[in-house]
Amino acid sequence: MNPLELTLGIMTAVGGFVDISELVFAAKAGSTFGYALIWAFVLGTIGMSVFGEMSGRVAAIAKQPVFNLMRHRLGLKLGLVTLMGSLISTLITCAAEVGGMALILNYLTGWPYPLLALLSVIALIASMWILPFKWIERTYGLLGLMMIVFAVALVAIHPPWAKLAGGIAPQVPPGLSTKELLNYSYFIVAILSAVMFPYESYFYSSGGIEEGWGAKDLLTNRVTCTVGFGLGSLLAIAILASSAQLFGPINVSPEIPGTSALEAATPFGKAGLLLALLGMLFAVAGAAVETCMSNAYAVSQFFGWEWGRHAKPSEAPRFTVAWIAVMLLALLIVLTGVDVMSLVEYAVLFSIIVLPLTYLPLMLLANDKSYMREHANRWLAKALGWLFFVVVTAAAVAAIPLYLLTSGGGG
Amino acid sequence: MARKLLLLLLTLASCSKGPEADLQYVSDARSVAAEWALVNEQAAHGKLTRTYVDSMHQWLRQQMQTDSSSLSQPKSAYAAEIAAVLDQPDDAAPAQLRSYADRLKQIEDSLESA
Amino acid sequence: MSALANIKIVSQLLDLPIIDKDERSCGIVDDIELSGAAGKELRVSALLVGPGAYEGRMPRWLYWLTRKIAGDRMARVPADQIVEIGSVVKLKSRGETLGLHKVEDKVRAWIPRKGAL
Repeated sequence: MNPLELTLGIMTAVGGFVDISELVFAAKAGSTFGYALIWAFVLGTIGMSVFGEMSGRVAAIAKQPVFNLMRHRLGLKLGLVTLMGSLISTLITCAAEVGGMALILNYLTGWPYPLLALLSVIALIASMWILPFKWIERTYGLLGLMMIVFAVALVAIHPPWAKLAGGIAPQVPPGLSTKELLNYSYFIVAILSAVMFPYESYFYSSGGIEEGWGAKDLLTNRVTCTVGFGLGSLLAIAILASSAQLFGPINVSPEIPGTSALEAATPFGKAGLLLALLGMLFAVAGAAVETCMSNAYAVSQFFGWEWGRHAKPSEAPRFTVAWIAVMLLALLIVLTGVDVMSLVEYAVLFSIIVLPLTYLPLMLLANDKSYMREHANRWLAKALGWLFFVVVTAAAVAAIPLYLLTSGGGG
Repeated sequence: MARKLLLLLLTLASCSKGPEADLQYVSDARSVAAEWALVNEQAAHGKLTRTYVDSMHQWLRQQMQTDSSSLSQPKSAYAAEIAAVLDQPDDAAPAQLRSYADRLKQIEDSLESA
Repeated sequence: MSALANIKIVSQLLDLPIIDKDERSCGIVDDIELSGAAGKELRVSALLVGPGAYEGRMPRWLYWLTRKIAGDRMARVPADQIVEIGSVVKLKSRGETLGLHKVEDKVRAWIPRKGAL
């Protein structure tokens, strides 16, 4: 295990953890319910670590990414249903990230939003064309580390640490009305979805193949998924906690993503504001790249095309056309004028519905000794895997009713 | 069976008209007014860039406008309150904006308990 | 022993990825051609690759839509081209000799070769 590679991998995971959906829901959860939803981020992160580790292990040992093996397990018809669901939910998420980028650039430059959406997509396509896979991931992940300003800002505003720590335990705040309880439940589902987005497993497992992972990389995989994702989730929790401290008492429930940057501006002024906005920009840009490539991976692997950015674009032509098409479709969605917050709501809703179909084949594959040999799931991975499968299935079933009954968390 | 349940939920969700249906927009507008106040307060302390402040004003106003035009009761007291917020200049005093947010919060609470 | 001796068609072969002798992706096992007859030994005679192979595996309306989008081309990979079956099907020859890389090569003509590191 190369210490430098491992450190860079962890830092990339940290900087790349938060995307526009987590930003939005962390801020709203904190302002609406105080510290009471920290446990949902913790639970989602553990689930993401469990399935992330499994998907990395499957990539390293079976040498095949999740979507290849998923079609084999589910068959053509159910595989197509999963593929379509995944493509739609990830495309909406990609559009939300592109819209988020354009918004943040608007806060920084004041230039028109549609122009910034177009420039963002051009910059993203250019970076994905020019840079090899490792440097695509690392550039955005490492620049996204500017988000650490949120964690430092939280310390600077002296939150009630005991109350904050109390939010780690699963709870239902006392005295909630029926409406508030439904809203609280909706937030739990939305946070789980935002943290455990399906595209993250597809991207992570395909990334393992891109980087040529083998049995020697299993420890790197495990450490990245636990330490990297764990530290990354602390950034999301810091955003939630600052929102609870700063926004909740003054009736702010952030309706636009830019409000979150005030969490860093309040203690640190303009420097904090700029670091927060730049951190958000690169974290969201990284997520735009991941969602875009995840869709291209999914369709290429499902139909057996050449794929990967370890090869030059002309060496995987249909894969190249696929990711460019996804990025352009995301831009088109943004240019229709649908607002970013709505895109985030739809992304979270569609993704949680698709999540059980994503994780079930992954579980079955990781359990299968004919593919995984001595690296198949042991008792802990099996137990946690099935536990989280039940959790995401319950969330998927509850998602649409809760969305309708709470008007998308609006109360 | 699942289809019938979904239909029922959709019907229930669309059934609420009037003040109850407007609750989410009153709640949004309350937050937007409070966010606007916070931006102006931080700007007055020199903590924000001019570009950020102008951009936030534009987006907050747009959001408030969307909430206002989504109301099913445009002649109601809360509609008038939201219109009064929209009449404020971009750099309105934070205290003034907060008073609107507080009044909208009271309206929101009374709609919720109705 | 042949890679196809005593194989379970659905759980061990159908819908597996195919790679050629240069380790390039060449599609998925979209369907399987069998030889033999009722009451006699069944053998896998070929793998069928391409959207044309979906016809027997989808509802008619879905196959109609698939044909509109992707056409109905199909390549036939004789069973004697199979070297190994595991998490992928490995072939003896290059994909081009088996008619497996046609679309990829057509699309490649449109992709610039410059600029990528």
